[in-house]
This record gives sequence, C-alpha cells and structure tokens, in this order.
Amino acid sequence: MDDSTNRGRFGAWRAGRSSFRLQLLSVFSLSVAFITLAASLLVVTNIDAVRERWSRAGRATIYLKDGARDVDVAGLSDALAQTQGVSKVRKISSEEARREMSANDDALQNLPVQAFPSSLELSFTQDISDTQLQEIALKLRALPAVDTVETYDRWTERLGSLLGGGVTAAACLAIIVLAAVVSVVSSTMRLLMQRRKIEIEVLKLVGATDRFVRRPFVAEGATQGALGAALALAILGALFLVVRGRFDQQLANLLGVSPTFLPWPVALGMVALGALLGAGTATISLRKLSSV
Amino acid sequence: MGRTSREGALKNGLRPGHRYDPSAAARPILVFENVFKSYRADSPVLRGMSLVIERGEFVFITGPSGAGKSTLLRLLHHTETVDDGRILFLGRDIARLSRDAIPALRRNIGVVFQDFRLVPGWTVFDNVAIALEVIGLPKRIIRTRVGETLERVGLAGRGSDLARVLSGGEQQRVAVARAIVTEPALILADEPTGNLDPQLAIDVLGLFEDIHEAGTTVLFATHDRSLLDVRPRRIVILDEGKATDVPRGLAEVDDDEDMLDDDEWDEVSGDIDQPSGLRKTG
Repeated sequence: MDDSTNRGRFGAWRAGRSSFRLQLLSVFSLSVAFITLAASLLVVTNIDAVRERWSRAGRATIYLKDGARDVDVAGLSDALAQTQGVSKVRKISSEEARREMSANDDALQNLPVQAFPSSLELSFTQDISDTQLQEIALKLRALPAVDTVETYDRWTERLGSLLGGGVTAAACLAIIVLAAVVSVVSSTMRLLMQRRKIEIEVLKLVGATDRFVRRPFVAEGATQGALGAALALAILGALFLVVRGRFDQQLANLLGVSPTFLPWPVALGMVALGALLGAGTATISLRKLSSV
Repeated sequence: MGRTSREGALKNGLRPGHRYDPSAAARPILVFENVFKSYRADSPVLRGMSLVIERGEFVFITGPSGAGKSTLLRLLHHTETVDDGRILFLGRDIARLSRDAIPALRRNIGVVFQDFRLVPGWTVFDNVAIALEVIGLPKRIIRTRVGETLERVGLAGRGSDLARVLSGGEQQRVAVARAIVTEPALILADEPTGNLDPQLAIDVLGLFEDIHEAGTTVLFATHDRSLLDVRPRRIVILDEGKATDVPRGLAEVDDDEDMLDDDEWDEVSGDIDQPSGLRKTG
C-alpha cells in the first residue's frame, strides 16, 4: 500500500512528453507574469544602489559669499583637503560656474556673472558616514566666507521615498504575479487533466494511489513555474544588456553608479518562488482527482 | 512439499498481527450477500442479489441491457459503492473499504473493458508496464514481466508500437495483458468482445480461457449468447436485480427439457444478442 521510491518515475516522464505544446504555452504565459515582477525588482535594486551611493556621500558644494577673500578661500580649501573623509576639493569660480551651467542654455549664458556664486566642490571617500558629513557641514556653515553648504540630503531623502514607493509597487506586482501564476498553472493543470483523463483513469484502474497520480502533475507545475521565472529573467537580462550597452556611460555620469542586474540570490529566489508556486497551485488544482 | 511444511511456509509469510487460518484457502473468492444497488430510487439495479463464486471458476455474467452486469463488476472494482449488503472478496468485505484501501483492492483485480481503456499515445509496453509501475517493481523486473505477458497474449515483439496503431483485437489483447501482468486473483471482463467481430470475439474468449487454465478466477460479462455456447461454463443470468445461476452453462439448459426452451430462455435473457453466422443453441 505504501509508495516506493521509484513510483511515478516513468509516469512523470510520459506525462511531460505528451503535452509539450501546452506546457510551452504555459511557461511563456508565466514568463510574461514574472517579467513584470523581475522588472520592478530590477528598478528597485538600481534605485537602491543610487540612493546608497548618494547617501554615502559622494559630494557636497560649499557656496561662498560674494565678498569672500581669496586668502580665506585658499585657507579653507587647504584645510578641507587635509580633513579626514574628504578626497578632493575643487574651487569653481563664478566664471567657471556660468560656463559649466550655461553650456547648453543661451538664457543662462546671458545672465551676469554675479548670478553664479563661486563654490568649493567637495568629494568624499566611500567610508564617510552621514553623521560625519553633517558634522563637517555644520562647522563649514559657521565660517565667515561660507554662504551655504549643500550636502544633497534632500536628494537622498527623495530617492529614499522613491525607493519606498518602488518597494510598495514591487510588492503589489508580486501579488499580481502570484495571482497570475496561480491562474495560469491551475488553468494549465485543468487542461492537462482534461487531456489526460484517459491516463488518469487508467492509473486509477490499475490501483494507483492519488499521490502517485498527482506526482507528475505537481512536478510539471513546479517545472513550469521555475522555467517561467527563468525565461523571464533571461528575457529581462537580454533587454538589460541592450539598454546598458547604449546608456551605461550616460547613466553612470548622471547617477554616479552603473546600472546592475538582479543579484544572484534574488534571481535564484525568483526561480524557487516560481517552482514553489507552480507545485502548490498544481496540488490545489488536483484536489478533485480522487473523484476520477 | 508436505502439508506441515507448506503450512509452516504460509505462516512465515503472514504479516505481523495476522493469524494463520488454514480454512481461508478453501473459502469462496467472492460472496455477494443480499446486495442492493440503485442509481435512481424508483428503479434499483440490484435487489438483494446473492451469489457465490469459488476460486478458479470461469463464470459468464449475462442478462439484458441494463440488468446490472457492468454495475456488478464496478461494485467489485469499487468504482461504484454498494447501497446495502456485503461483497466478500477473499473473505474481506469490500463494500466497506476505506478510500485509502481501494488502490490495494484494484491491484488484486485485473479488469478489461469493452472500450479497451488504453492510452493511445503510449506504447504497448507502457500501457502494460503501468500496472507494475504502480506497485513499485524495479524497471528490470517490469521489462521481463511485460515481455512475458505480451508473449502470452500473442503480442510478442509489439511492445514499441503505439496503442493507437493497433487493431481492435490487438488493443483488447493489450488490455488483457495489462489486466494479467500483475497476476491478480480475479479478472473482471466487462463486455470485452463488444467491439470485436465474431471471430475475434472467440479468439479473445480463448485468451481468457487460457488465463483461467492458469488458475485465475474470471468473471466474464457479456450479452453475446454465441460466446456462451462455445464451451460449457457456469452462467449467472442477471434480471430484475436478481441472479439466476446456471452451473453447467447452456448445455444444462439443452440437456434438461424441463428447464428452458428457446422462448423461455429469451424471456429470461431478454435482449441477449444472437449474432448471425454463429451456432444457435438448439
């Protein structure tokens, strides 16, 4: 009465080969569902990388007062260059600021040079913490030659909130994907059951247990889910490579980081999720098997 | 092997907790006790039917369409459940089996249907092997036993053919092979010749007789009267929910003028077919 280990081995193989087209269609449908989830995870991953990069401070700008003396500015520049955590100090005069900012804008070019305050652009090492950065900014604001200090906190905060939105969107998409996977796999299972009604009847006829009959279907559900997720990752990976090949440099200049694909653990997790969802849905779909 | 040593061997083969009962081997293989079955409350199919089938018997179950021949076999195979009464198979009441015990019952009963019930896309080998895969035999043993069984039913060398390309007679032989490959104690044949021409029907009947010769009990449901004439066999006629036993077959009816003449037979057997070209019982 007990199931021995080799049961279902041949049955599963036969079942798989008999409905190849249907399985292929199902895998493709699942991959479409998984692509949306993978794409949202990809966006979230990269926004997080940008936020991480910017929050780790990449840079700050010290806007100098109009009447700041060159001696004070030079002294400040030297002092900053020797400060721990500061990797680079670059002085930008009003003329340079106007030239850089109005390179592609005639309207800005016509503005008087006084409209562009001179500044010191600071670059920081990667290991500097937010607290250290805030402390440096606080001390700088107290200096007579300094007008304001921009640490781009607001951008980090904005990216943080954008990331939060992205995570929420990804969670919503995950639920939609879950529903899509359940729907596709259960429909496929019902179709397979219908197509293989005679097989199931024969199996029950010769004394197969429900578990024996169910096993190949569950294996197929798991395979479909895993293949659907893997195919989605492959398609998304190919698209990612195309996009990165064209815009990698621009994005790196703009955001300070190069776009990255989903980390291996996330990709493998998605495939495992697909397998788990497929197997679970197949099991639930076959509840009525005992009535056959 | 002496009686004592044989009993000792049987005792050693018992599962823990089971008591050796020497009288078990002498019991009938099948006992129907006052069995009731109806699909509609106003027209019961079986009305308190009682019947005893001994081990190693070959029994024809016959009767008009709707008399309950197929129902009787389905009750044995547990694809239908008994409304009331008992069915003892090897001393166990199968009418009260739990769901989990049904697969084990089915592994001990071979069944052959009129429509063959083969998977068309599987090979002959696969269609037969599945009965052994279900009980978990190793691949090597499956291969050997399927080969032997196909040879027994006259399909040696056809294992790799797809079931869908076979003729009706060959498909029925595959179905018979699937039913006997596990060497069950009982074979149920539900109108197995219904889709075959008269000559093939007699060939398939011969196959069942060969299986019976090897010691297997066979219940052969048919409404083809010509098959009942082939050899004197016990016949059970189902009509109006009851079983009428004819232990020595139609010969008994022929020999005993006091029993049934043709009109009386027709009255009892209803619309049992008498195909042209075959000998009609006199």
